[in-house]
Amino acid sequence: MSGPASVAIPDSPLARMHPIAKIVGICSLGLSTIAWPDFTLGLFFILVLFLTAATAHELRPFAKIMLGFGIPVTIMLLFIQGCYSPKNTKTILDLGFAKMGLEGSLYAAKIVVTLMVFLGSFYLTTKTTYMGRLVAALSQVGVPSKVGYLILASLNVVPQMQRRITVIEQSQHSRGLETGGNIISRARAFIPLLGPVVLSSLTDSQERGMTLETRGFGIKGIRQTSYIEVQWRRADTLFTACITLLFLLVLAGSILSGMGIVPLGIQWGGRA
Amino acid sequence: MKIVVEHLKHAYPNGYCALQDVNLTFEGNQPVALIGQNGAGKTTLAKHLNGILKPTSGRVLIDGVDVATAQTAQWARKVGYIFQNPDDQLFLDSVRKEFEFGPHQLGVSQEEIEHRIAKIAELVGLEKKLDSHPFDLSPTEKKFCAIGSVLMMNTGALVFDEPTCGQDKLGDDRLATIISRLKDQGKLCITISHDMKFVARNFPRVVLMRKGQVLLAGSREEVFSRQEILQKAYVTPPPITRVAQEVGIAKPVFTVAAFTEVIRQAGQKGKERG
Repeated sequence: MSGPASVAIPDSPLARMHPIAKIVGICSLGLSTIAWPDFTLGLFFILVLFLTAATAHELRPFAKIMLGFGIPVTIMLLFIQGCYSPKNTKTILDLGFAKMGLEGSLYAAKIVVTLMVFLGSFYLTTKTTYMGRLVAALSQVGVPSKVGYLILASLNVVPQMQRRITVIEQSQHSRGLETGGNIISRARAFIPLLGPVVLSSLTDSQERGMTLETRGFGIKGIRQTSYIEVQWRRADTLFTACITLLFLLVLAGSILSGMGIVPLGIQWGGRA
Repeated sequence: MKIVVEHLKHAYPNGYCALQDVNLTFEGNQPVALIGQNGAGKTTLAKHLNGILKPTSGRVLIDGVDVATAQTAQWARKVGYIFQNPDDQLFLDSVRKEFEFGPHQLGVSQEEIEHRIAKIAELVGLEKKLDSHPFDLSPTEKKFCAIGSVLMMNTGALVFDEPTCGQDKLGDDRLATIISRLKDQGKLCITISHDMKFVARNFPRVVLMRKGQVLLAGSREEVFSRQEILQKAYVTPPPITRVAQEVGIAKPVFTVAAFTEVIRQAGQKGKERG
């Protein structure tokens, strides 16, 4: 089940994977990155995520998101932590107005890779999962259908709002409003447009609540069935087991090295 | 004012081709109705007339100038566009401010704006509601508020997208008054509508579209007498026109009055002969 044609998801191992397995994957990768004493493991995960994105036919948008987020955040954090972290003792670069320290820079690298592992794995999950399937999977594991609907509805609201904004912008252009020019004049022109978007979304949601009630949503004491069936395959068990094991190993390794029992070969700083 | 559409083609980003080689000329002050099924391309065509949408190929000329040469906000001086859903258009906190917004954007003087408000508020029936919040208006009034806010810009041409949608008899009559007023002022009024009775009564010129193409463009008499083409486009002429066609009246009629007139004349002729 890859969803309706308008949001069709290309077939790939990641697209076939059970949504819950993917969520376990996100948590496991992210927490492992946090647990590992330095940024190297996270860097390795980012590489793996890029490869996975390629197999899921999402490499281009994935790279765009990762670089678009990664580069500015890296620069910002390197500057703040690298130059001004109180932990800095070893100077690696003299910028004149500030000295860049090794410890702060490594700490910044750790934060950046952690953020990017979470972002990347989450992005790949959302891009390769039809939301209906995710919600069906969630209600399979016992999440109430109301919560499921809430997730679906809030995910649907975004594209709907985008469409609305386009129409509202068009209608204001045809009333002579210019939204071009520099950033300030753009912002000034754009702010008044937000009013109708928010207001109409509010009235929409009220109507939607009423139509849901008339269709029996919220009847108590009934276990709702799902239109979409999500199957848990052996591959999902295998993946979940491996990725959980990976996390446990990383956790154990980090604790042991932290206590000094098993020293890592090289450790690139990074402890907070 | 003259709007010429030349070999207009428009494909949406998802690849759907909404318009295929449309050629049309809108000219003079005769109100024009755009009719056709949902998805025929009426709104897509209309949105090219002031540059809201850009052609994939072909061009639109307003008084000889290519629409693509300027932004929509510039064309707002020449072509007004009333959106189907007033909620997309209204965003200020009083009807008066809505009315003032367009002319302010165009740099019209306050004195002139006051003058226009007095006239237009009366025309759209909101003269007592000028200080109400648009969201407190009834759906019909909201629609007229949106119409009024565009009329205020005093453009040479106006596009109405589905103005009859959700209107009652009074609303329809008021719309008819607005359309005939625009005609008297020499303005070109282009209207998208599904209401064939409304179209037949108020629009001397009709453009019939189907699947992104123009099937017929001409006077309402010409268009509504081509039954086989209308059928192909799933458009049904107004009931009275169909009755007249059924009983074999050659000339298309659009109102009960016209119908009875034809019948009376036929009766008189019969008497004279008899």
